[in-house]
Amino acid sequence: MALPAEKIEAFEPRITAFVCNWCTYTGADLAGTSRLQMDPNVRIIRLPCTGRIDPLFVIKAFERGADGVIVSGCHPADCHYTSGNYHARRRFAVFNEILGFLGVEPERLTFSWVSASEGQKWREVVNDATARARRLGPFDAFRALAGRSA
Amino acid sequence: MKELQELARTLLSSGTVGVVIGWEEGPRGARPAFITDAADSSRLIFDHRCTHNLATYLSPRRPHMARLGKAAIVVKGCDARAVAGLLRETQVKREDVVIIGVRCGGVAADPAGAKPLTAETVAERCPGCTAREPHLADHVVGEAQPEPPGAPTRDARIAELDAMSAPKRWAFWQAEFARCIRCNACREVCPMCFCERCVGDKTEPQWLESSPHPRGNFAWHVTRALHQAGRCVDCGECQRACPADIPLGLLNRKIAGIVADRFDYRATDDPTVPAPIGAFSMSDRQEFIL
Amino acid sequence: MRAKTITEEELCTFVADLVAAGTRVTAPVRAAEGKVDYRAITRFEEAAIGAELPRRSLKEFFLPPTEPLFSWRQGKGDVTVKPVSVSFPPHVVLGARPCDAAAVEILDRVMGWDYRDELWFGRREATTIVSVACPGIDGSCFCTATGRGPDSTRGSDLMMTPVDGGYFVEAVTPKGEAFVRTHAARFADVADPGTTVAAEAFRARARSRVAENLTLSLPALRSWLGSSFDHELWRTIALRCHGCGACASVCPTCHCFDIVDEPDGVRAGTRRRNWDTCQTARFTVHASGHNPRTDQNARFRQRVMHKFSIYPDRFGEVLCTGCGRCARACPGGMDLPEVLKTIAALAGADGPREAAV
Repeated sequence: MALPAEKIEAFEPRITAFVCNWCTYTGADLAGTSRLQMDPNVRIIRLPCTGRIDPLFVIKAFERGADGVIVSGCHPADCHYTSGNYHARRRFAVFNEILGFLGVEPERLTFSWVSASEGQKWREVVNDATARARRLGPFDAFRALAGRSA
Repeated sequence: MKELQELARTLLSSGTVGVVIGWEEGPRGARPAFITDAADSSRLIFDHRCTHNLATYLSPRRPHMARLGKAAIVVKGCDARAVAGLLRETQVKREDVVIIGVRCGGVAADPAGAKPLTAETVAERCPGCTAREPHLADHVVGEAQPEPPGAPTRDARIAELDAMSAPKRWAFWQAEFARCIRCNACREVCPMCFCERCVGDKTEPQWLESSPHPRGNFAWHVTRALHQAGRCVDCGECQRACPADIPLGLLNRKIAGIVADRFDYRATDDPTVPAPIGAFSMSDRQEFIL
Repeated sequence: MRAKTITEEELCTFVADLVAAGTRVTAPVRAAEGKVDYRAITRFEEAAIGAELPRRSLKEFFLPPTEPLFSWRQGKGDVTVKPVSVSFPPHVVLGARPCDAAAVEILDRVMGWDYRDELWFGRREATTIVSVACPGIDGSCFCTATGRGPDSTRGSDLMMTPVDGGYFVEAVTPKGEAFVRTHAARFADVADPGTTVAAEAFRARARSRVAENLTLSLPALRSWLGSSFDHELWRTIALRCHGCGACASVCPTCHCFDIVDEPDGVRAGTRRRNWDTCQTARFTVHASGHNPRTDQNARFRQRVMHKFSIYPDRFGEVLCTGCGRCARACPGGMDLPEVLKTIAALAGADGPREAAV
């Protein structure tokens, strides 16, 4: 459900990015040192490998108010630990479909491979994820799950 | 029945096993039975009310079961897939269990009462079942049975849900999960939920809120579903045990569809087939990754 | 107060009056999945009084599966604690089962024992319970064996018994009497003495029907339990039990809870209490990892002991109303009436010797 244009303007989505240390984090670093301009909505959490990213991290991010989540790591065949990204690929393929089946809009989740040399691609991933979350508006459906406070 | 009772008697009196796990007549229909004395073998039954998946009792989490000695377990073809799962995930050693397969013509959703097996009373997993002949077994007893009555219904319901908009699907599941009281019955009866300490019980850090409010419930059901991917054997025990009647079987069926479609994996009673999560292929589809 | 009668039509008006006055009305309702639950109604026609036993008991209306106790917010150098309100709007339960109503009163004792649970009693005081005498459900009912019965008035403010054309109504408590006076126009005096006879006949039939399922001597049971903690019965009692706790969640008297702190963002959070059950292993796990209840047999023994020995020792009556929900809900086929029968045989407490004790 897209927001009306004036609301989209006013809403700044919060995006949490879980990235691997070796490729995407370095790629994001490159984007920064190259002074690429990009949307400032993404908070990066660095982990050793996409294989270390438990899908529960994504749930936790939504629980704590994220409007979108990015999971990003090394391209296939580039994993620092040989196969962490292949394991992650399977896990997140299933996770993504389960979340979709339970009614989470697929646009709230972004998966990408960004290598250490792809600063430009990181910028695209960030801008793209931000734009999609902005279009959907705040993830109120998830926030409404919060238990009734005292 | 006689064949099953005789076999149990022989296994117990010869000292091959210390307990035979099967079914008996209880105050409310068929129920699990634990025969430790050969003389009690005549209590064993098998009929369409024997819906329970007894493989749960092989779980290493149950020290009081282990004390009864080596177990013989009676399994339907579908239940044998759970035994295979325990073998695959090294929870049980093959030489530590005697598997008695029974030929099945479908079971009722509810083990209570004496209602005949019809399209209305049959468990939703049974129509169209392809696992009725037990392969993973040391002994197979009983005659070949007719096809279970009725037609599969879950795939049509899944297609209906898939066709809805995301907010509608969200609303559907939220209404179901709203009834959840986090009693964890779904987990405790599951033959594949054998973790010594479930992530749902961890408190430092607490990954899953234990409160049965919508946020905690959503996190739990996503996690349960994910941890069952490629492991669930679709025995339906979680749904049967649920005191809130949440249609977990629907979610399990969806997951089975996902792993079949993506990884060409189907629940099997062959313990040598590796589980899809934990393995990978270079050529796994990655259309969802930018 | 003299007994009254009320017709179905008057009940419709009665519910409409209550709802119009802002009173929350709860009654058994047939849910979408075909099962019966206690739920809020706005019209009497939504109620399914006399249908099968609701899936869960009334306890959740006094002790919800989860409820906040307070919330906190951390400021610069201080913490603000926001308590929850312990006053509740008026609430009427219409069509409670006598076993469920009795349970609430039994729980009053533990809830007001060494500490007065304000949330529990706040809800209790706001609620009027109108029970309907039960005809008995099935072979798992054993309310008469627990010292109550399908027509027990324990815990009810008003008791209604189905008779031709409506209900025979008796006020049980002063609250119930006041309630009848407030809504006097809805109730009529008993015109035909036959109505009283019919109501008593309905109840007598129900009592004898349930009594066929199980009879016990509770004192003998309690005395056996008190000296049989290490009896060999417990070594294999719970083989088929999964430790899932479905029994406790449907039980009208199981009342254990867990207290958790859950963050709401970074410097704020809520303390909640959630239902818990002694049937799970983690219930007694110590911080060291040691678990004094080593297996499911020990956990099931605890369930029986607490209900039929520990609670009566402390509060003078058993913590069970014989609703039979535990037996109906158990995925493993555990059956409390059967277990009680076994224990009664061991204790020499079986048979209708109740009156002599």
